[in-house]
Amino acid sequence: MAAIDARALSKSFGGRPACREVSFTVERGEVFGLLGPNGAGKTTMLRMLAGLYAPDSGSAEVAGCLVGPGRPGGPELRARVGLLTEAPGFYDRLTARENLTFFARLQGAREVERRCSALLERFGLDLHAARPFAELSRGMKQKLAIARALVHEPEVVFLDEPTVGLDPEATREVRSVIAALAAEHATIVLCTHHLDEVERLCSRAAFIAGRLVAVHEIRQEGLLRVELAAPFAPDGVLQGLFRNVRTQGSALFIEPRAEVPEIVAALVAAGARILSVTPHQDPLEDAWLALLAEARLR
Amino acid sequence: MIGLVMRKELLELRRSPVLLLSMFSLPATVVAVPLALLAWVVRAAPEEALAFVQDVYGVSGQPPAAGLATALARTWLPMFLVLPIFLPILLAAQSIGGERERRTLEPLLATPVRTLDIILGKSFAALLPAVGITWLAAAAFCAGVDAVAGAMLLPDSAWLFGTLLLSPLLALFGNAAAVAVSSRVLDPRAAQNLAATTVLPLLGLLVVQLAGRIALGPRFYFGLAAGVAIADVALIFVAVRLFDRERLLTNWR
Repeated sequence: MAAIDARALSKSFGGRPACREVSFTVERGEVFGLLGPNGAGKTTMLRMLAGLYAPDSGSAEVAGCLVGPGRPGGPELRARVGLLTEAPGFYDRLTARENLTFFARLQGAREVERRCSALLERFGLDLHAARPFAELSRGMKQKLAIARALVHEPEVVFLDEPTVGLDPEATREVRSVIAALAAEHATIVLCTHHLDEVERLCSRAAFIAGRLVAVHEIRQEGLLRVELAAPFAPDGVLQGLFRNVRTQGSALFIEPRAEVPEIVAALVAAGARILSVTPHQDPLEDAWLALLAEARLR
Repeated sequence: MIGLVMRKELLELRRSPVLLLSMFSLPATVVAVPLALLAWVVRAAPEEALAFVQDVYGVSGQPPAAGLATALARTWLPMFLVLPIFLPILLAAQSIGGERERRTLEPLLATPVRTLDIILGKSFAALLPAVGITWLAAAAFCAGVDAVAGAMLLPDSAWLFGTLLLSPLLALFGNAAAVAVSSRVLDPRAAQNLAATTVLPLLGLLVVQLAGRIALGPRFYFGLAAGVAIADVALIFVAVRLFDRERLLTNWR
C-alpha cells in the first residue's frame, strides 16, 4: 500500500484556487519531490496531506488515515506524520532541548528524553542543546526543526522548503541530513522550487502549478554524452548495449546497459570518431521549463 | 496535554523577568494608594469631614480610623476582582496571535494537540501568576487596613470568598475571553483592547460602590460566583468552537 495516495485534491481560499485536482501516489521509502513556482500550491498541498487543511474536494489516504472534504486528518494523522514547516517556528526563550522535548511530548513520542538526546547528537546540536533557540544559527535552527519532524518516528515526513534562506554551508548540511534520511528509506515528501535539490534527493517529482502538470521520473544513474567529430547514426551498432539512445547534432545521448569501454569499442568499430565521453544527467530544468510552458499554453 | 501547554507557557514567562515584574506594578498601586490616602485622611481631615464620609458609607458610630477603614474594605474589593483579569490580559491576548506572529502556530497545530488543550493550557498559564499576585496584594491590603484601623477588620467572609474563589473564576472568564478573542482577532494589540472590555462591568461596580450608592455583601458575591462559573464553562465551549485552525493559518486580518 502506498504511503500517500492523493486523489483529485482541490483547495481554494476565498474563491481563489490554490490546488486543482492534484493526484499522485508516494510509495513507502520513497523520496518524492513537490516542485512548483512560488504560489503554485505546494504548501497548501502539504498542509492538506499533513492534516492541517481539509480539501474542498477529492480525498487522500496518508499513512493509513483518510483526508477528505470537511475532514482534515485529525490528531491520528498528525501523530503519524512529521512536518517541517517553512519557518522553524520554535520558542525563542526556550533552549533547543526544551523546545524539542515540548514538541516530542505533544507528538506523543516514546522515551522522549532518550529520543531527543539521540536526535540532538545526530544533528550535531548536542553541544548547543542548552542554548536558547534565539541564539542558534539559521542552519542549527533548521536542523532542530528537522529533528522535531522526526522526533516521534513518523511514517511520512513532509519537508517544506528545507533550505530556503540558508547560507551555502547550512544548505549543504541540511541536504546531507535529508540524504541520510533517504538512505534509511524514510518516506519523504520534499516541497521545494530548487530543481537541483530534487535532482539530488528525489526519485520522482510532481510538477505543480495550481494543478498537477506531470509526475517526472528522475534518472539518478544519468546518461552518457558521446561527442563525435561528425554526425553518426548509431542504428544497429549498439544493439543490446543501451536502453535508449538519441542524437542531438554531433552528440549521442546514451542510456547505457553495458560498460562504457564496450560501448566505445562498438562505436569505434562502426567507424564513429569519438571526441569525448562524459556522464550526463538529463537536466530536470529543461523538463520543468517545457512542462511549465505547456501548462501556460493550456 | 493541558499541563504540557501550560508548563511551556509558564517557562516562557519565567524567562521574561521584566514582563513578570511589570505585572506587580498595578497591584502595588492598588494596595499602596488607597492605604496611603486612608492613613492621611484619618490624620489630616477635619472631624466634620470624617463624620460626613462615615455617614455617606453608613459606618457612623465607630472611631474615624475604624469607620473609614471599614468603608474602604467594603468598597475596594471589586478592584481585587478586576486585577486577576487585567494583569494577564497582555499574555492571554497574545496567546494565539503571538504564536502566529512568531510563526510557532503552524508547528503547534501540526501536532495532535486538541483545541481544548490549547485554550485551557494557555488560559491557566496566564491565570496562575495573576491570581498568585492578586492574593499577595490582597494579603498586603488586608494587613494595611488592619494596621490603620488598629483592629482586625480584614479579611472578612466577603473578602475571603471574593479573593479565594471569585477572583480565580473571574480571571478564568477574562482569560478565556482574551484567548478566544486572540484566536479570531489576530493582531495582538487589537485583541488586547477588545479583551480589556471584560473588566468594564466590574469597574462600574467599583464606581457605584465608591459613590456610596450600594453596599455589596456576601450574598451578591455568592450569586456572582455561581453566574461566573457557568459563564466560564460556556465561554470555554464558545472559544473552542471559534478556534478555526484553517483560518488561523490562512487569514492575516
